[in-house]
Amino acid sequence: MRHCKKKQDKTIAYGGAETKGRTITPLVFLIPAFLLVTIFVLYPVVSTVSLSLFQDSKFVGFNNYLELFGRRSFSQALIHNGLWILIHLPLSVFFGLLLAVLLRQVKGGAIIKSIIFLGMVIPLVVGGILFRFIYDTDAGVVNALLRFIGLGSIARSWTFYPDTALISLIIGTIWIWTGFSMIVYSAGLEGIPIELYEAAKIDGASRWKTFWRITVPMLRPATIVVVTMTLLWVLKVFDVVYVATFGGPGGASTVMAFEMYLDAFQAFNFGRASAIATILTLMTFGFAAYMVNRMAKS
Amino acid sequence: MKKNAGVTRTMWMAIAVIVIVVIGAVIAVWYVARPQPAGLTVYSLWSGDEEANFMKVLENFTEQTGINVTHIGFSTQELLIGVPTQLKAGASLADLVIAPWPAWILDLAEDEHLVEVTDLITATKYPTGYINSVKDTAGKIWAAPFKASGKPGFWYKKSFFQDNNLEVPGTYQEFKDLLADIMQIDGIEEPIASGDTVGWPLSDTTEAFIMGLGGYQLQEDLIAGTVNWTSTEVRDVFEDLRQLLAAGYFSEPAEWQSQVAKFWDEKYGIYFMGSWITTMSQIGDVSDLDFFPFPETDGVAGSVDYCIIPKYTENLDQAKELLQYLAGAEAQETMVKLGGFLGTNVDVPDTAYGTLDKKVLDFISQTTVHIVPDLDDAVGGRFQTTFWDQLKLLWVSPTTGTLNSVLEALQEEAG
Repeated sequence: MRHCKKKQDKTIAYGGAETKGRTITPLVFLIPAFLLVTIFVLYPVVSTVSLSLFQDSKFVGFNNYLELFGRRSFSQALIHNGLWILIHLPLSVFFGLLLAVLLRQVKGGAIIKSIIFLGMVIPLVVGGILFRFIYDTDAGVVNALLRFIGLGSIARSWTFYPDTALISLIIGTIWIWTGFSMIVYSAGLEGIPIELYEAAKIDGASRWKTFWRITVPMLRPATIVVVTMTLLWVLKVFDVVYVATFGGPGGASTVMAFEMYLDAFQAFNFGRASAIATILTLMTFGFAAYMVNRMAKS
Repeated sequence: MKKNAGVTRTMWMAIAVIVIVVIGAVIAVWYVARPQPAGLTVYSLWSGDEEANFMKVLENFTEQTGINVTHIGFSTQELLIGVPTQLKAGASLADLVIAPWPAWILDLAEDEHLVEVTDLITATKYPTGYINSVKDTAGKIWAAPFKASGKPGFWYKKSFFQDNNLEVPGTYQEFKDLLADIMQIDGIEEPIASGDTVGWPLSDTTEAFIMGLGGYQLQEDLIAGTVNWTSTEVRDVFEDLRQLLAAGYFSEPAEWQSQVAKFWDEKYGIYFMGSWITTMSQIGDVSDLDFFPFPETDGVAGSVDYCIIPKYTENLDQAKELLQYLAGAEAQETMVKLGGFLGTNVDVPDTAYGTLDKKVLDFISQTTVHIVPDLDDAVGGRFQTTFWDQLKLLWVSPTTGTLNSVLEALQEEAG
């Protein structure tokens, strides 16, 4: 007892210093990370935003932004990014969930999942080259399949035509990205307590109802992760477009990141490229903040 | 006892990590500080046979001067973007760069990244057009012409024409008749092969139409920006081209080198290409190859490979020596003898040329034919990629609506 009292006195005596220490110590540990983030993230972001207000070292205010929105190629790119989101996002989420649920109950499902996930291991530059071959008139597997089922008359190089270039790329990347959503959903499924399914079974719930009332709501955090990552990836998609179609033909598959590349490294117009980068950053930041907020709430 | 074993293991692991880090640091320092082999680094767009030929020229230079030269070949996009990016950062890994884009060179000169070469070459030794393309408004010359490639017209296989009783056309109507005849031949997919990759083969073909149907002056005016892409004269040329595309005379664009192979396999009748086609391994027998110019044309696009020296080079004197060597008749004669290219220096003797190269030289040397710069290379910048991209669109969708949209897009970018 005497010993305890002594310890308590000591705590009271040094309480202020300890609290101070508790505040300072984490800050000290944060310094390296803070420095790195400042140098490699904050400074470039601020520089890019500032550069977007200049043209040939002259301050031009928001002229670069106004010029962008007056340009046909940028409007096209905005629409195309929107189409990527509208088509790629729901399909990759749907197929990921479907495969995760189906393969969970299949013998050897883990092996099939690994094979599907291989798509994620392929660098997108390689993916872009693969798409050119897959969709090629003579050498492509897509056209070979069409010929096999008697639709050879519509065989063509799908990435060469304005009406099919963008959708060909989107479908190709769904194949690549589905592996990611499938793995996240598989992990999510493992986290659902088995008791919930048992209780539903006792209550006489059908499998369909169990899926909608238990599986889908319990996978909400996984869905938020998949949607967030997919959205961010789709907004900054570049490499596959660059390699497979170079944004063409006639800008039919161009996207914002590709427009930024053309302005920066073809026209060497860094002001306009920075304006696109700023718009992209704001969009991705907006989406990410919204989704992270939802994730925190869920 | 167990605790002691744990501590010892941890200690050994810590020592191992420290040793690995120290060894890594020593290797890194050695790598950075190791003595670099003395010599020059040259960047160009060449690979394969073209690079092998150029290496022979560089070997001659090394033999004569004792200066070692390392050559690095890049793709169009890598060179177009990589070099300006380095220069804008105030550095250059290359001591000399060879590139065929006059507008790009003048942009770099304007930004003060290049060494002026006015006093390093004798301007009168080259065709005026070659020099004027890389001369600024103050009369300073920023690049030395090395070799040139003529884009003389459509290449064909003599035996194929002979076997099918085809004749070289003398007028545009005869040209269209020829295409219709080729279309009827068994095994032919389309009469004209269309090359693709980044887009220059389509732009070369289109420029032949611009000069052949609109005159060389139209191409020069488009380069200068004094004629609108939406003007009637340009639209008329493109409308003729569009009609041929719509008639199915051109193939779907495909990788340009694989198209050379298909052309030689008689899947296509003719192929518009530069004189370098004579050096390509896909051509089985070069003596069976010939070309005919665009009927009644008064212009031909000449692409010149220029040598430039980045001002950030650490080997300025040696780089100047190499530039002067490449711009001289001796190096160019060696390159010309290896085939596929034309010299730019007037002192390169006619005897250096092979039969086909001589034919190209004779064609472009006619007084009725004007050598004009390659359009997209001369305008450069974002226009170049837009031009390539819009032509791909026209090739696969040759409707009047697409043509209007293509010309408007080109005018928007050029304007």
